[in-house]
Amino acid sequence: MTRHQSPRLGFNLRGALTVAAHEFRLRIRAGRWRWLLGAWFLSLFALTAGIRSALVRSDQIRPGTDMFGGLMLTMLALALLVVPALAAQSVNGDRLRGLLATLQTTLLTPAEIAIGKLAAAWGTAIVFLVTAIPLALWCVAEGASGLRVAVSLGIAAVLLGVICSISLCLSAVLARTTTSGVLSYLAVFALSIGTVVIFVLAVALTQTTETRTTEAGTFEQTVTHPERVWWLLAPNPFIIVADAAPRTLEQPDAGVRLDPLGAIGEVARSARTPGSTLVDSEGIVELGRQAVWPVGLASNAVLGAGALVITIRRLRTPYVKLPKTVRVG
Amino acid sequence: MSAGVALAAGIEAAGVRRTFGNVVAVADVTLSVPRGHVTALVGPNGAGKTTLLLVLATLLKPDAGRVRVAGFDPVTDSVEVRSRTGWMPDSFGTYDTLTAREVLEFAAAAYRIPRQLRPRRAWELLALVHLDEFAERPVHALSRGQRQRLGLARALVHEPTVLLLDEPAAGLDPRSRIELRGLLRGFAAQGCAVLVSSHVLSELETIADRVVFVDRGRSIAEQTLAELPRAERRPWRVRALDPGPLMVFLDHHGTEHGPPDAHGVEVLLSGDEAAAELLAAMVRDGIPVVSFAPAGSDLEAAYLAITEDRQ
Repeated sequence: MTRHQSPRLGFNLRGALTVAAHEFRLRIRAGRWRWLLGAWFLSLFALTAGIRSALVRSDQIRPGTDMFGGLMLTMLALALLVVPALAAQSVNGDRLRGLLATLQTTLLTPAEIAIGKLAAAWGTAIVFLVTAIPLALWCVAEGASGLRVAVSLGIAAVLLGVICSISLCLSAVLARTTTSGVLSYLAVFALSIGTVVIFVLAVALTQTTETRTTEAGTFEQTVTHPERVWWLLAPNPFIIVADAAPRTLEQPDAGVRLDPLGAIGEVARSARTPGSTLVDSEGIVELGRQAVWPVGLASNAVLGAGALVITIRRLRTPYVKLPKTVRVG
Repeated sequence: MSAGVALAAGIEAAGVRRTFGNVVAVADVTLSVPRGHVTALVGPNGAGKTTLLLVLATLLKPDAGRVRVAGFDPVTDSVEVRSRTGWMPDSFGTYDTLTAREVLEFAAAAYRIPRQLRPRRAWELLALVHLDEFAERPVHALSRGQRQRLGLARALVHEPTVLLLDEPAAGLDPRSRIELRGLLRGFAAQGCAVLVSSHVLSELETIADRVVFVDRGRSIAEQTLAELPRAERRPWRVRALDPGPLMVFLDHHGTEHGPPDAHGVEVLLSGDEAAAELLAAMVRDGIPVVSFAPAGSDLEAAYLAITEDRQ
């Protein structure tokens, strides 16, 4: 028989696709996806419809932007709850069930196994986003910017991939599936809530007392310096998605706006460049602040790529060292 | 299989050592597994059999020693070794929701067998291990023995020339065991090198024609079954009409023996002369002996002799 040689240390797209298709098939057979995706869609639909009816009654303006803001943030929050479960037991679960070693002795390389597993988990996460596309189109029909919707969904998809990669890495590093599962949720918690808490603490710690002298006399004033610690907020997925959404330049006097994405983006930018809001002669807000999302997206990309590299290294055989309590099989 | 590879020995290992922290799993193993033979790897639990097989299967790096599998170093040439080696671990999982055919087609894909060849290969293997009627059945619906056979088929998917089988007969019914024996002998006859670990000695005796004994991480002896030494001490089984006087006699005579049961008593004797002497003494003392014969197999006797100092 002819031998089908693989690159010695390499990566072959077909190999990764073999793993990804296999993992995807296992996922489809294992779960009750129709029910899960149905519940996902219905709850997001109810939310979007709720926002719409609340706004349509109170306002003249078209509610699409606000509908999409609420939809996007809720969807991101729910997805961050679902996604760690997709990858956090991928490697150590296989090892526990005696499936990993037989995979490693095939001609599949560590990179192909790791990237295939990541692709399957990431693909599943993207299925959740895709399920919500009809709702996003509804928002566009109600006046949301199509570009804004597309960019937000795209950025969210990238960020979910980062969470998948971190979870996969934890499953490759840790022997126990429960530990890697818990730590994956902690990682999501650290990114989405921990960054905010640390930012607030850092603002409190970096505030200074300055002495001001005015006509009324000399007095001391406490001054905060969020511009020194704004980068702590940057890796937050909510802030990245909100800030990356292209700004809608609408008249500021058009009534009460919710636009949650825009509001969060503004808060983040004002932390980076405080006191720079400009109102030009025509009364239109000049959005001259520096964006936060490029830093956030880059830091997430580094996190995700680093996690993938560690995963590949942990799958390399022959093993030199094994963690305690791990049996190779 | 190309001619150049065929000339190389299946497996050559010398001075292999592998530790896990302070635990020495394999201390010093030297063995060779020639092509055309089934070699048994025999030793007590914890002797290092599974660890040794993991080293040969390119999963563990040995701390020391020289290893060649199908002519290649499993550490530096793992791809070459993997493309020629079929490994069946002692315990392995199966993708429960896939069918038997899908499991084999995925394994074929993982060995980079072209897509159009995979279905035929899967069916060939299913027929080989007599699972063709279960091809479309999900693996979770298969019995333990059927899964074991599927695991064997999986290890054969890329037509390896070296087979590493860790306890392959565990969970197999008698018919499957006999078929496994036929399969392994067939592979050997085709020029494969087959290494089988087990502690079911009576079974290995019918499968293997060579044996490597390992104990506490060391290879102790390597020989063909035909040249197994007549063991120094081996068990004999004595049955008497009345076990009472027999036990009194054995104690008095100073013969090492086990507890009596329905099939008699096992005594440990050094050589045929000792057996003849004991039988004569029993008859002389009027013990109503019904039967007196060597117990166990030659392999078992050799195994017991080699691991004797553990007691």
